[in-house]
Amino acid sequence: MTTIATETPQTRQRKRAKAWQAFFQALPLVLPFTLVYVLFLIYPSLRAVQLSLTNSDLGGIGKYIGLENYRKLFADPLFGTSLVNTLYFILLTVVPNTLLAFAFALMVNRLKRAKKFVLAAFFLPYVLPVSVVTNLWIWLLDQSFGLINIVTGLSISWFQDPTYSMPAVAFVTIWWTVGFNILLFLAALQSIPREYFEAAALDGANDLQVFRFITWPSMWSTTSLVLLLQLIAQFKIFDQVYLLTGGGPYDKTLVTLLYLYRKGFQEQQGGYASAIGILLLIIIFAASLLQERFLGRGRSE
Amino acid sequence: MRKSLTALLTLGLAVSGASLAAPVAVNFWDFFGGGDGARMKTIVDNFNKSQSDIVVTRTTQVWGVPFYTKVHTAVVAGDTPDMITYHLSHMPQGMTLGDLREFTTADVTAAGLAMKDFQPSMVKTMNDIAKNVTGKVGTYALPLDTHTYVVYYNKDLLKKAGLLGADGTPTGLTGIANFTKALQAIKTKTGVLPISFSSAQDPATVWRLYDTLFLQQGGNLVAGGKLNVADLNTKGKVALQTMVDWTKQGLLAKNSTYPAMVALFTAGRAAFMMNGNWEAPTLVDLKAAGKLKFDFGMMAFPKLFANNDTWADSHVLAIPTNTKKPLAPEKLSAVLKFMGYIEKTGGLTWAGGGHVPAYVPTRNLPDFKSLSPNNQYSDKAASQIKLDPILTYFGVGNSVYDSVGNNLTPALLGQGTVDKSIGAFKADLQKFDAAAKK
Repeated sequence: MTTIATETPQTRQRKRAKAWQAFFQALPLVLPFTLVYVLFLIYPSLRAVQLSLTNSDLGGIGKYIGLENYRKLFADPLFGTSLVNTLYFILLTVVPNTLLAFAFALMVNRLKRAKKFVLAAFFLPYVLPVSVVTNLWIWLLDQSFGLINIVTGLSISWFQDPTYSMPAVAFVTIWWTVGFNILLFLAALQSIPREYFEAAALDGANDLQVFRFITWPSMWSTTSLVLLLQLIAQFKIFDQVYLLTGGGPYDKTLVTLLYLYRKGFQEQQGGYASAIGILLLIIIFAASLLQERFLGRGRSE
Repeated sequence: MRKSLTALLTLGLAVSGASLAAPVAVNFWDFFGGGDGARMKTIVDNFNKSQSDIVVTRTTQVWGVPFYTKVHTAVVAGDTPDMITYHLSHMPQGMTLGDLREFTTADVTAAGLAMKDFQPSMVKTMNDIAKNVTGKVGTYALPLDTHTYVVYYNKDLLKKAGLLGADGTPTGLTGIANFTKALQAIKTKTGVLPISFSSAQDPATVWRLYDTLFLQQGGNLVAGGKLNVADLNTKGKVALQTMVDWTKQGLLAKNSTYPAMVALFTAGRAAFMMNGNWEAPTLVDLKAAGKLKFDFGMMAFPKLFANNDTWADSHVLAIPTNTKKPLAPEKLSAVLKFMGYIEKTGGLTWAGGGHVPAYVPTRNLPDFKSLSPNNQYSDKAASQIKLDPILTYFGVGNSVYDSVGNNLTPALLGQGTVDKSIGAFKADLQKFDAAAKK
């Protein structure tokens, strides 16, 4: 406050000139990204909004029909099913994935030997492309020849079963992505100042107390970030379902993006598919805001 | 001396003149991978070598939905390839979207072809589609082949089960009761799986068998060019129930993937394989390499119900519509010339993929008649082909395949009743139909 009060007009002018200079220096660095961003993200998104107000096919040629697509969408039971399935998938992945990653990170952090090896083992699945991951699990969970059924003595057709198909897809997703979250948590764990733990040890805190009063609060910003990233990523579930179950059986794994894909690319209803996309965008945005608010308050407490 | 010099000069001029006129470039998109891809490459390479006026460049796109999406996008953008391959079963949707250019009679003649030389049932289906979409008959593609549903059999196992006739072909497979009895005999006498089949992540195979059983009872999903679901509750249920019963009794492979289906048969662990004729080269190659431990044969799908109609589809050659940059006359003539070449000269090469040539003169060639195993099934299979309903949501890469995987497959796994499955399938068809009408 006091520095601003003593600021002379000259220093203010110099500051402004400096700001402009910084702007012009930054411009060539930011411009390429901004151009690409506008051209390939902002512009197509706006076109999608426009497309969602038409009855066009995939080629983008169609009549303006106002909010007809949205009206139909709200009355479309299959769209409702797809949203419920997507939420079920989120329920099965977001929190479990975060908790598992947290737990694994704590365990890896305590390792004295082979820490890098264990970490690499956890991270390895994340490096694989989705097609490899799904193929791997199709074989592992195969009803007749699959390792899992042979070892457990079960005879479940995991990806074709109405009850187990979505949990199976969720399991594969967690297996695939948990490594990345472990890495985030581990980085956060290692950035907690050692003095905190030393001080706690001097005060005679037990392991549980250290976790409750030091580790957990210090990790909270990372935890909420992981939760948010997970929420957004899992709303966009498509690849695993497309490759593992195709949406079946009986629409039990039909998720919103798969429904969009079918409407747009198979039934060639570009307008309707765009409306699904826009609605999903709004839902994801709203969910992110809600979560940020909810978790943000948790952090300040 | 002078004379020969003049001759030499003239020759030189002629040669340089020829090389000055740049050859016409034809841009050709197809969706053939694997053995079919290799065969199409041979045909293109041979054509390019056979003359110097036209150079065909072939680009292979991903089969199914991606291919058809790309073609439609190209049409809308006005930046199309000069010619494409297509599935006859996808033509209703493609033509509704206006993706295919019509062939005039002069075009067909310029290709050195005549429509009367093609498999009549296919020409009729194409005309029906045209009539349904545009209001009048017309040629929007030249048929290349029929690929249909056939039965592969293991002669050694059938012999053990007492089902092989003196001529080395199976006997006692006509009629559903006999057929099921034969399957049971195989199971008890040989202990192997009677029919290798694929249903895990493979709605296409489920559709092929279901549709064949449905068609053979006289079932029809189209009446007067419109969707007709009346037969689903009767014939549709019988068709699915047959498959469910076979699965329950361990006569039909349960929950196998496509590669597992082929592996079960080639390893000698199944007596029959119900699949498209396109696996013929796999078996021929394995046999030639000495890796097949048994003698195999192929037959047209047996008559199990009232008739012997069998699911089939067809690869066709087409020209995409381009209203912005229509095909230049010299390009069109080059495309037609190449199409004529594929049908006539390339026909035999293409048949190596197990396909039945749609161009009938190819089927009459002595070389084709001696081509094994094609000669075991081609003529009979061609006579009983029944193409997919001529509605936009049927066919390769369309919604019905999804609905089959979503609704019919669970019944095979015992996860839902036949009634529930057929009910859901029927509801889906009606939904697709309502969506397509707008």
